[in-house]
Amino acid sequence: MIATALRVHDTPVLETLPLWQPAERPVQEPPTRARSRERDAPGGLAVTVRDLSKAFDGHTVIENLDLHIPAGQFVAVVGRSGCGKSTLLRLILGLEQPSSGRVVLESEGVRPPPKRIMFQEPRLLPWAHVADNVAVGLGETGTKAERRARALTALGEVGLADKAGQWPATLSGGQRQRVALARALVSRPGLLALDEPLGALDALTRIGMQAMIEEIWQAQGFTALLVTHDVAEAVALADRILVVEDGRIALDVKVEVPRPRRRGDPILAALEGRILDHLLQTHAPA
Amino acid sequence: MARIPLRDGLTPWLLPLGIVLGWQAASSAGLVSTRFMPAPLDVIAAGWQLGRTGELWANLWVSTLRALAGFAVGGGIGFALGLANGLSKVSDRLTDTTVQMVRNVPHLSLIPLVILWFGIGEEAKLFLVALGVFFPVYANTLHGIRSVDPQLVEMGRVYGLSSWSLFTRVVLPGALPSIFVGLRYALGIMWLTLIVAETISASSGLGYMAMQAREFMLVDVVVLAIVIYAGLGKLADVLTRWLERTCLAWNPAYRTV
Repeated sequence: MIATALRVHDTPVLETLPLWQPAERPVQEPPTRARSRERDAPGGLAVTVRDLSKAFDGHTVIENLDLHIPAGQFVAVVGRSGCGKSTLLRLILGLEQPSSGRVVLESEGVRPPPKRIMFQEPRLLPWAHVADNVAVGLGETGTKAERRARALTALGEVGLADKAGQWPATLSGGQRQRVALARALVSRPGLLALDEPLGALDALTRIGMQAMIEEIWQAQGFTALLVTHDVAEAVALADRILVVEDGRIALDVKVEVPRPRRRGDPILAALEGRILDHLLQTHAPA
Repeated sequence: MARIPLRDGLTPWLLPLGIVLGWQAASSAGLVSTRFMPAPLDVIAAGWQLGRTGELWANLWVSTLRALAGFAVGGGIGFALGLANGLSKVSDRLTDTTVQMVRNVPHLSLIPLVILWFGIGEEAKLFLVALGVFFPVYANTLHGIRSVDPQLVEMGRVYGLSSWSLFTRVVLPGALPSIFVGLRYALGIMWLTLIVAETISASSGLGYMAMQAREFMLVDVVVLAIVIYAGLGKLADVLTRWLERTCLAWNPAYRTV
């Protein structure tokens, strides 16, 4: 599996680009843009978690957790509701302060790339046009024209360039979540956290979004951290799967299946079965 | 925006037009005594007469200025305090209880006191209108800010928006529909307060014009004043609707029908 992660991380983005050719999108990637992206994208952030604990009102959610995620890896975190997986994600992103221990994010470049999160809900501003919503992802940087240009590029990447001038209310649920993805990606993050972003979508839209996230991750090389209930989704997308139980990592599995992965691949199915067994077994009623 | 077909545009006016025509017919047929209820044509004639002498315009102008000044002062303070209490816990703790207590006092009950303080000068009218307008603007601004989706605010924070950006791009637009509700209420209260104040204590303005007419039994002028109030109310409504459609175009509920 490391081979998969390293390939994305070590080879220049340009060489992985041919893998990333969605059929319905016109070829709109001139070499200059790709090169400038390679320069802009400083690669992923490496995440190191040391002896991390988090308690809410005396109730421990995360307990003495250690974890290292190399830059550019796609990690899925699965577990039952309330196991602490979302809290772990929020701690890594700095949305919550740890009770003890620490989280270190490292990058190779001088200026660390931003970290971004995609929520379960799109959380688009209903009063801003789609392009302006995407530009929110740039924070306060850049001139108006720059921001707009970058927002339009990011919208193109999720296949919604033609919706730039619309209100979010006119989009479908899947399209809104794609706008949220563009907003997360527009600042070229080094770490993208996905907090069950596909949970509310129908099955077909979901599969389409999974493929899109995988393609964009392969092209941009950020570190991805996906929290999900859906073991099949974790197995299809991730290099590595963490099963969280009672605030600890109970299982750390590598998925050594080359990409692009085929749905229904027997190795993936076996792995999915193993993880599900583990989740069901440990919580079987006594 | 598609042009509204002429027929659809006229439909809302069928009812008022019908009432006026029926009224005129009843007056002409002698069914209604013109001593108590003048015919529409008499009202129009009175309007024409007063318009020619300039008396009508002078009074209308004076009333409009008072209304706008009071609205600007009361609405401005209400909006500012609503923002402050919506954004700052300290400010809210300090002032909200007081405002809620004063809010339950009918502001028109202060008229005797206001006359004692200010006489029947401009300050009295300004004070009353400002006081009346203050509460709906304050309450709805505060409510609007408190009901902004906290998930959007969290998103804005996580995505690195500065406090100012967070306010102008997330909080204020989110509060705007509620602020407009306050604006509509305030406009209604603005006219109501002003007319009552002018009726009781004034030496100019529409309310004064109507009271003078009563003294001389000029029923047509009294009715003219009432018709003008209706027209001004409609005008305020059209302006707010236009503002809402412009500022809240993102909201499906306010999209042009």
